[in-house]
Amino acid sequence: MRMSTRKLLDRAFTWGACLAVGLMALFLVLVLAPILVRGAGAYVFRATTEYRRMMLDQFGRGDEAQIQAERAAVAEARRPLYEALDAFERSLPDLPAARRKELKPAFQEVREGLRLLLGPEPGEPLPALTRRLYGQTRWDRAQEKVRNVLCEETWDYSGEGEGVRVWVPRAPKFAGTALEPLFPLLERDLEGLLRPRLTFYPRFLTDKSLDIHFFGGIGAEVAGTVYLALGAMLIAVPLGIVAAVYFQEYAREGAVITLLRSCVNTLAGVPSVVFGLFGLAFFINTLHVSPGKSVLAGSLTLALLVLPTVIRASEEAIAAVPRAYKEAALALGAGQWRTILTVILPAALPGILTGTVISMGRAAGETAPIIFTAAVSYGALVRPSEVLSQATPALSWNLYNICTEHEAVDEIRHVQYGMAATLVLIVLTLNLTAILIRARVAKRLKG
Amino acid sequence: MMVMVAGALAGARTVCAQDKLALDGSTTVGPIAKAFAEYTMRQNQNVNITVSESGSGNGAKALLNGTCDIANLSRDLKESERQAMEQKGVKPVAHVVAYDGLPVIVHPSNRVKGLTLEQVRDIYTGKVTNWKQVGGADLPIVVISRDTNSGTFETFKELVLGKEAKICEGTEYTGSNGGVRQRVQMTKGAIGFAGLGFVDRSVKALEINGVAPSAETVVAKSYPISRELFMFTKGEPAPDGLVAAFIGLSRSEKGREIIEEIGFVPVPEKK
Repeated sequence: MRMSTRKLLDRAFTWGACLAVGLMALFLVLVLAPILVRGAGAYVFRATTEYRRMMLDQFGRGDEAQIQAERAAVAEARRPLYEALDAFERSLPDLPAARRKELKPAFQEVREGLRLLLGPEPGEPLPALTRRLYGQTRWDRAQEKVRNVLCEETWDYSGEGEGVRVWVPRAPKFAGTALEPLFPLLERDLEGLLRPRLTFYPRFLTDKSLDIHFFGGIGAEVAGTVYLALGAMLIAVPLGIVAAVYFQEYAREGAVITLLRSCVNTLAGVPSVVFGLFGLAFFINTLHVSPGKSVLAGSLTLALLVLPTVIRASEEAIAAVPRAYKEAALALGAGQWRTILTVILPAALPGILTGTVISMGRAAGETAPIIFTAAVSYGALVRPSEVLSQATPALSWNLYNICTEHEAVDEIRHVQYGMAATLVLIVLTLNLTAILIRARVAKRLKG
Repeated sequence: MMVMVAGALAGARTVCAQDKLALDGSTTVGPIAKAFAEYTMRQNQNVNITVSESGSGNGAKALLNGTCDIANLSRDLKESERQAMEQKGVKPVAHVVAYDGLPVIVHPSNRVKGLTLEQVRDIYTGKVTNWKQVGGADLPIVVISRDTNSGTFETFKELVLGKEAKICEGTEYTGSNGGVRQRVQMTKGAIGFAGLGFVDRSVKALEINGVAPSAETVVAKSYPISRELFMFTKGEPAPDGLVAAFIGLSRSEKGREIIEEIGFVPVPEKK
């Protein structure tokens, strides 16, 4: 080949590689940025007075005197609204029958919309569900809800083909009635009615959820994920290291060892959902490690899933220990067992740790293996003393659950993004830790 | 970590079995079960209740295998399930906790206001494939159904399609009520069905035979696709135990309020 062709090929390869890396980085940003930005909305948001009242009632947080004072001021601002409702209701019987029939359902809708926006009316019997005890706690949600009071969402089917969505303002319908002043008041002074204030809610990470994620945080899910990942490591790491030591130091190459190695490699390629089914059939239905789903059963299943990774990483780390170390130890009279324990494993430890931390990230993020063995869609925070028998919510599974199965998916978008961002951050942090460990090892080996 | 394990081993012995309750099964009954669980746990801090939503069929299996205390089903047990339980010595006892209608839902841009039961059947069996055949716009129908493991599917099949009918090819099967609603909400031309508590303004519930689905029409049984929601226990629960208290909640004033606020229909009080 001519020199110039070679150079050209070389350059093309360099550019191709740069492009690939660049694209990868771009996709990473495209995927992570929206999740993290929208997820931050669960931690930092404009909270209304309803949020502060809920926090005081349910979690006992906040300055009580200050919140009471704010409540009084807000109640004063809301009074004209409720007066308008009352006056209209009183005037209903005096309206002509046709007009009454037209306005009554519309009035009910306005009233229900107001309840969703501002909470129960003063003096009303309290509803049973916590979600209905308070109005909108987030300013972004409140702005969406107020539109449903001000306008009616209807569909116009008069044209050809599909209907078109139209927002019809309600105010003209009620023109001349006692309800009329309500609409401009809502439109003008929503801030006065709800008093939004920028709020930082770091305890979203550790708080229990209230009324199935309507309020509160994701503490139970975070704890579940931590238990499952730690438990899996507790089981997989000792097993993995022992297996790796055997493969590297004791095993003599032969048919059996080749078979064993390919078994480990096959295990690494098994889809995770198969592990989940296996875990259900073996750990729960056959071995009965727990009466039903439990953190223990989930950890065992996850341990199987990450075992091949741990074995391979440990093997590599052990193989990378310079032969001279081993020979020196043997020359000093140490036995093989002693050499492994005091010389080889300590030297290989950073490499093993890197593999462990990466596997832990994998275990924390996996969904399929825990669906059948550990995860429930609702459950309280599990105490460390209960991990042997208690099932738990976990970030990965519950994220799916509240995105699809929850009865009010659209109302809790912020929790969904918050959960996704938290899970991504946990996995990212674990991987970063692995990178840092690796960097330190590289430095030590050089020095 | 070792400390944690040691603590866990010591703690496991002190945890009392009575304080725990595991529920599994229907995604339709799920919201009721979750709200009841939260309510019960608020009343009694020592109780731990978990709810899984893996579908009615899996709920029945979990009860059979002893991995749950209460199985939530949105249909009655099948004959085959009863037989399997009998063979294992499990005696299932049914408790009706609420009523539910199955609204047939379409995208709100759809101009069709209502269908007859026959028309719904024709759509799901593939005889009708375009909305213009039933008075709508010229738009192919996207048929969405629950998966065959779900009680909602069984009810729909029994009440609308008949036992022998075959659902048309190309039907999309979705694993949860919320999933069906989201699919319909995002797809013009889609048709689906879900429990009453899952249907909101983002989709349009059709009138069936001229009756709109609502709490009133479900109680009056005038809405043709209505059903009971069950919780099954192994044998009759001990009257003063946690299981009995949990299920009894569905007949209490508070429990009925909860059911109603979620959007389902509480069992009418006995006259």
